[in-house]
Amino acid sequence: MIGLTPERIAEELRGYSARLTEGVQTLGRIGEIEAGVTARDAVYREDKLTLYRYQPRVEQPHSVPLLIVYALVNRPYMMDIQEDRSMIRGLLDAGVDVYLIDWGYPDANDRRLTLGDYIHRYINHCIDYLRERCQQESVNVLGVCQGGALSLCFSSLYPEKVRNLITMVTPVDFHTPDNVLTHLIRHVNVDLLVDTFGNVPGAMLNFAFLSLSPFRLAGQKYVDLMDIIDDLGALKNFLRMEKWINDSPDQAGEAFRQFAKDFFQQNKLIKGEVVIGERQVDLRNLTMPILNVYATQDHLVPPPASKVLAGLNGSQDYSELSFKGGHIGIYVSARAQREVPPAIAAWLLAR
Amino acid sequence: MTDQTETPSAAPNPFDTELLIKQARSYLAFGEQMSAFSSQLHDSLQGGGDWGAVLRQNFDQFKAATIGAAGDASAAPEHGQLWTQMLDLWRQSTSSLGLGAPAGGETEAWQGYLQVQNQYLDLLRQSASSALDLLEQQLHDRAASGKSIDSLRELYNLWVDCNEKTYGQMLRGLDYSELNGRLFNSLLQCYPKGETRS
Repeated sequence: MIGLTPERIAEELRGYSARLTEGVQTLGRIGEIEAGVTARDAVYREDKLTLYRYQPRVEQPHSVPLLIVYALVNRPYMMDIQEDRSMIRGLLDAGVDVYLIDWGYPDANDRRLTLGDYIHRYINHCIDYLRERCQQESVNVLGVCQGGALSLCFSSLYPEKVRNLITMVTPVDFHTPDNVLTHLIRHVNVDLLVDTFGNVPGAMLNFAFLSLSPFRLAGQKYVDLMDIIDDLGALKNFLRMEKWINDSPDQAGEAFRQFAKDFFQQNKLIKGEVVIGERQVDLRNLTMPILNVYATQDHLVPPPASKVLAGLNGSQDYSELSFKGGHIGIYVSARAQREVPPAIAAWLLAR
Repeated sequence: MTDQTETPSAAPNPFDTELLIKQARSYLAFGEQMSAFSSQLHDSLQGGGDWGAVLRQNFDQFKAATIGAAGDASAAPEHGQLWTQMLDLWRQSTSSLGLGAPAGGETEAWQGYLQVQNQYLDLLRQSASSALDLLEQQLHDRAASGKSIDSLRELYNLWVDCNEKTYGQMLRGLDYSELNGRLFNSLLQCYPKGETRS
């Protein structure tokens, strides 16, 4: 039974209003929120791309570098968002030599960039740079989410350059029944979208993500914020996440067109029908060791969408790492810090 | 060359305080609605009514008031926003992208888009109505098992859960996928293919 009375509600609302007033003042004073905490050096640049090397945290890091290929949507500092929530720091502490591609912010000059440019040119050039720099025939690659799909394409086209491949919360089958992103874009006229905008606005992608859970993400979250308004540390953590969520680069139009149509709408990756710059992507070319990391409660990339890779690759050394958590929790949760980087590092260092 | 943090010029402000205030207003409106509902409920129970019947009667009134708020120009906008969260998001997003009514009058394409938007609103209305049915059922279930709701916040969280559940079911339906596509496409058809926005 509802034990609430109008008086009780009024009292609660008065308390909430007082905290809101205090909260707005606190938020006004808090200043710039920084994200991305680990020291790094820019070692290679091409157009808007910057390749970073994270400064090692052990005396003798592993000789084979690891290149992190992040998604084109959102910003890669999610992997290093704060000192106690940093997958990159965890990998460094375990002795991995970590590099990361920052794609930057595409503008109108980039609207003609294709997936061919991203894969044959940008990723390929970064990997050649690392092979040369580290004097290695091949390097390790960790692809994240959409960056995982790009990494699968690259590794299939250039298997000789990839020593070990790690895919993390990576969609492979885009038509599993529970794939809500595909569901949302299935009937959208992608040509009309790209032809209208040129580059696809990041704000539109933000809308799509928020639309998956609007009552929580656009409502309850801000009501709950008043619970931590006195806790400066927790408040800054919240704001860091807000910054990341809203920091959505526009998507280069032609690359978006192909990704949306070929991957989401037509599911060509698992059919072996994706063509990148006139070369066909065949996942059976993935003969290198593969570690496929997925999150059991991932609402954006459901586990079956990732796990299908098991039956499609050509590797003799395929394994999976299941993380009990969601698409974001796999980077930022306390459990992820304990479980994921050490497991990836152990897998890598054993090969 | 060491670059410890990236603060690119395109990065947005960390937090939109106006958004917080807007959501806070919605929460306060929820509190007002629940206060009125609670008052009616207690009055009816003091008159000796049966809990289930009283809840049903008052809930029907509450439901009509909540759902009706969006179509009622005299209602406080926060009341309607309680269940049109999604439509609100859509309008904010399209507005931020400059996708308003085309200059030079309301074109046929724009009218077509508004029709689709109304269909979208209808679907959201059905989802919100189902959420309130679910909330009523949950209150019944709690009462039957002797569990009480003792704070507005607890009730709000339950209301959010119910909305997310019915909205999620709607989102995963074939109708929604098709309508979402038509919503985007009909809006985009209002503008020239100029590739001039970015």
